[in-house]
Amino acid sequence: MTKILQFFLLLSLSVLATEKPTLTIYTYDAFSASWGPAPKIKKSFEKEHHVTLKFVGLSSSIGALRKIQLEGKRTKADILLGLDTSIAEVAKKTGLFVPHELNTSKLDLPAPYNDDTFTPFDYSYFAFVYDEDRLKTVPDSFESLASMPKDFKIVIQDPRSSTAGLGLLLWIKSIYGDKAGAYWKRLAPHILTITKGWSEAYGLFLKGEADMVLSYTTSPAYHIVEENKTNIKAAKFKEGHYGQIEVAAVLKSSKHQALAKQFLAFMHSKTFADIIPTANWAYPVVKGVKLPKAFETLVQPKKMILMDGKEVQKIRKSLINEWLEGMAR
Amino acid sequence: MFAGLIVPLLLLAFAIALFLTLYVTQDGSLFTSIDTHIYGLLKFTLYQATLSTILSLIVGVLLAWALAHQSKFRGRSLLVALFSSSLVLPTLIVVFGLIGIFGRNGYLNQASLFLFDHSFGAYIYGLAGILLAHVYLNASFASRALLHSFESIPKEKYKLTKSLNFSVLERFLYVEYPAIKSTLFSIGSTIFLLCFTSFAVVLLLGGSPSYNTLEVAIYEAVRLDFDIGLALKLALIQLSISAVLVVLSSGFRTGLANLKTSYTLIPWKEPKILRVLQWSIIGIFTLFFVLPLLVIVIDGLGADFGHIFSEALFIKSFITSISFATVSSLFTVGIALMLSNTRRNFTLQTRYGNRRWARVVDAMVAFSGNLYLAIPSLVLGLGFFLMYQKSEGSEIVWSTTALLTANVLMSLPFALSVLTPAMHKTAQRYDKLAFSLGIKGWRRWTMVEYPYLKASLGYVFALAFCFSLGDLGIIALFGSDEFMTLPWYLYQLMGSYRTTDAAGVALVMLILVLSVFIIIPRAFQNKLDKN
Amino acid sequence: MLHIKNIKYQYKNTKDTYTYTLECKPSEVVAILGQSGSGKSTLLDIIAGFIEPISGSAMMDDIELLDKPIDKRPITILFQNHNLFEHLSVQKNILLGIDKNLKASTKEIENILKEVGLDAHEHKLTSELSGGQQQRVALARVLMRREPILLLDEPFSGLDDTTRIEMLELVQKITQEHQLHTLMVTHDLDDCERIANHVYKMQNHILIKQ
Repeated sequence: MTKILQFFLLLSLSVLATEKPTLTIYTYDAFSASWGPAPKIKKSFEKEHHVTLKFVGLSSSIGALRKIQLEGKRTKADILLGLDTSIAEVAKKTGLFVPHELNTSKLDLPAPYNDDTFTPFDYSYFAFVYDEDRLKTVPDSFESLASMPKDFKIVIQDPRSSTAGLGLLLWIKSIYGDKAGAYWKRLAPHILTITKGWSEAYGLFLKGEADMVLSYTTSPAYHIVEENKTNIKAAKFKEGHYGQIEVAAVLKSSKHQALAKQFLAFMHSKTFADIIPTANWAYPVVKGVKLPKAFETLVQPKKMILMDGKEVQKIRKSLINEWLEGMAR
Repeated sequence: MFAGLIVPLLLLAFAIALFLTLYVTQDGSLFTSIDTHIYGLLKFTLYQATLSTILSLIVGVLLAWALAHQSKFRGRSLLVALFSSSLVLPTLIVVFGLIGIFGRNGYLNQASLFLFDHSFGAYIYGLAGILLAHVYLNASFASRALLHSFESIPKEKYKLTKSLNFSVLERFLYVEYPAIKSTLFSIGSTIFLLCFTSFAVVLLLGGSPSYNTLEVAIYEAVRLDFDIGLALKLALIQLSISAVLVVLSSGFRTGLANLKTSYTLIPWKEPKILRVLQWSIIGIFTLFFVLPLLVIVIDGLGADFGHIFSEALFIKSFITSISFATVSSLFTVGIALMLSNTRRNFTLQTRYGNRRWARVVDAMVAFSGNLYLAIPSLVLGLGFFLMYQKSEGSEIVWSTTALLTANVLMSLPFALSVLTPAMHKTAQRYDKLAFSLGIKGWRRWTMVEYPYLKASLGYVFALAFCFSLGDLGIIALFGSDEFMTLPWYLYQLMGSYRTTDAAGVALVMLILVLSVFIIIPRAFQNKLDKN
Repeated sequence: MLHIKNIKYQYKNTKDTYTYTLECKPSEVVAILGQSGSGKSTLLDIIAGFIEPISGSAMMDDIELLDKPIDKRPITILFQNHNLFEHLSVQKNILLGIDKNLKASTKEIENILKEVGLDAHEHKLTSELSGGQQQRVALARVLMRREPILLLDEPFSGLDDTTRIEMLELVQKITQEHQLHTLMVTHDLDDCERIANHVYKMQNHILIKQ
């Protein structure tokens, strides 16, 4: 009798064990897209671990954070991937995330970042991207950008929903300081529209709706590698380029804490780092990865302008208000 | 006698609960911290609503005037019926059609590029686009009600103006204006309220935060910033202002119940110049009204329906939309019936109209139904959202309840404005007879009320169905990949610039709404309509 | 005998009190004369039970009418219009309020329709009938209900002279044959002279026998 019981117990345990857990990752749409890094990452992570990775793509990474906040404790997300160091502090304050318990001191970062909750997986620099064939006079600074002819239009992202939009806000703030509000008023007439996320803006630019789009210095690499096109370029700005270090963290409400942390560790593996340059079109955070040739032609900023996350958290609200007022007509 | 008061009391209680939820949750700094940003929002919201109302009324009066004086042409009643359909056209669809014509890549710019090598650019994103869409939606609706006022001017008055040799202006000032004045004001206040709380139009055509209204700012505060404090502050401001507006406006009572057109035959012809003017007005507005719809049809036909219909999200949102529209319109009809019945109970002398508190009770019931005109759907949604955050219930249950409630409450004022007078009339006519013959209860509903109310019920059902089907309001707060309606799906498609698919979905929605609005009232029509 | 004793009524928001006293024996037609707005129809509304008086009584033989609910009073009432449900057939209109199942011997209905001069119309919709024919259907229902009191609220004033006279005579015939107590409100002296046994008149809010 006991033997039979034991048998059933073992059987049920083995059934439970073979039942694959699902790890749900909320991220931005360009990351989860079929042409993005998600499919490759899923393949190699699932090979190493007994798990199903599920990527849920939102229109922006901040949008993904808001979705998690809206869902509260009931969220299905185990990991939030795609915020950057500027907004991470805001996310941390929600208390929805847990420390990663990883050693991140060996990571290859252009600016120091050591947070116990959010951990980096790639980085790049913000830049305005244009089509050489369509735009003849290319602005080389924020000053020349604002003094372009009247019909020159750019697409930017909303700093409330997009890390790119927030990046631009901080970029301009770090250059103009108190005069940032006045600068936004000068730039406003050139803004065709403000999108919720990066891919929406980039799509508009590719369709020819705008002359320039706020994107990354690494964006042209995509067109060189995938499309063999060299006419899409990033404009080098004299004032320097603001950086973006993308990060991820595990949700406190996740039922798969161990697995989720294994995924964060996986982000610092060579396998992951090899995928990043030609899938997310950014620089990996691990040393010793050979970058494709196309990266050599890119704009290479000497220094990364980057505000401290805690500082950003303090001034973000007032910056956004300043920006909203600058946009108002 | 008091059973009929349960529904109005529930409606009032819900409104109070909603207000309390919002009020208690905010941090108490409501009026002390109206910063320049909120002040700017408020200013723009009022500014665009005022401009939209004035423009809609000017266009509406011109159109009604032209139609009233051109009373004999083929297709006139069809045209008038078409204009009244603007009430149920989903705003999203209208905006989609307008972008198709006036947008950066719209037909107007394309034609101009082809002919003069000049594009007008993206002027539609901003104040111009908002005004254009508001005039589109409201001028036609206003002209419908105004036309009725024009047509009820007695022929003799026109004869008098002729014999006194009045000029067109004098005729308008002394005869026509006094006749349309009251309609003008009540319809104007209604339009102002609708533009003040306008959401989808501003969301899509605002283009950037430079053209935000309070309603859109609430949405952005929740969805983009998760700044519940700001959202609450905005919601309470929005709520107070629209409540004042509803109290000030005499409400919705005009313009909906009397949707039939009649002919005033003036025995002489207007002078040629006037006729040309009137025809131009009719022609231009018809073009303005029909072209966006035509664009939806033309662009929609170019879509790959095989692809659209096989998309899981489309199927999901289609089923969700249809079931929500059906359920919420049934609820709307039911609640409107109960409220109207209670109202006639407390107004008619043959019922409790003579009782002491009858008038107060009646006012309370009327208020409970029209109250929700003052509660914009985003504010309602925010209330639901806060309740959801505090509760343990599942997301889907809350989203479903929120959407359903919002849809019902949104249609209710319209439903009441149609049903209340109709039910009042049947009671006035048949109460004595039915009472003396002892016909009551179920028998009375089936044998007496239903045959007379059938047409109104069909109309109310269609109205509520279309409202619910086309609404992009509360779903903006609750929508996700798991919970999606057609308007939300269309909005997502437009946001990701999948224009061809969007055109297909827009066409599907247009066909759905128009066929429901045309077929259902027909099916419920009866011979008694003439009386 | 129908005996209205000192019934008083006051409209909301007015100071005037109306007072009614009246007697009507079986087979009698009593006419109530008065200008429009004089309060003559109010009496019928009170007797029928649509509104409640301040005081007074309405006795039918030994029964107090005012204590009974509307549909339990031994009364049939005929208005100037809206006596019928236009969307129903003649037959259903007659049966409504008499038989819960709308089933009665067709023979009986045929006879009654014959009595009011409307043979072979029972399956028509009442909306297809002329004004005079509609009032005949309403009279047929009076006969079918077999209630002893008949209240007429200017039921024939919308009809042409010939039809009106025919109808008045029909009322007189029915009243006598079925021993009804008929009260007829009218503003037409001609009507009174033609069929009324007694005439009452509203004078300064008081009903006075002439």
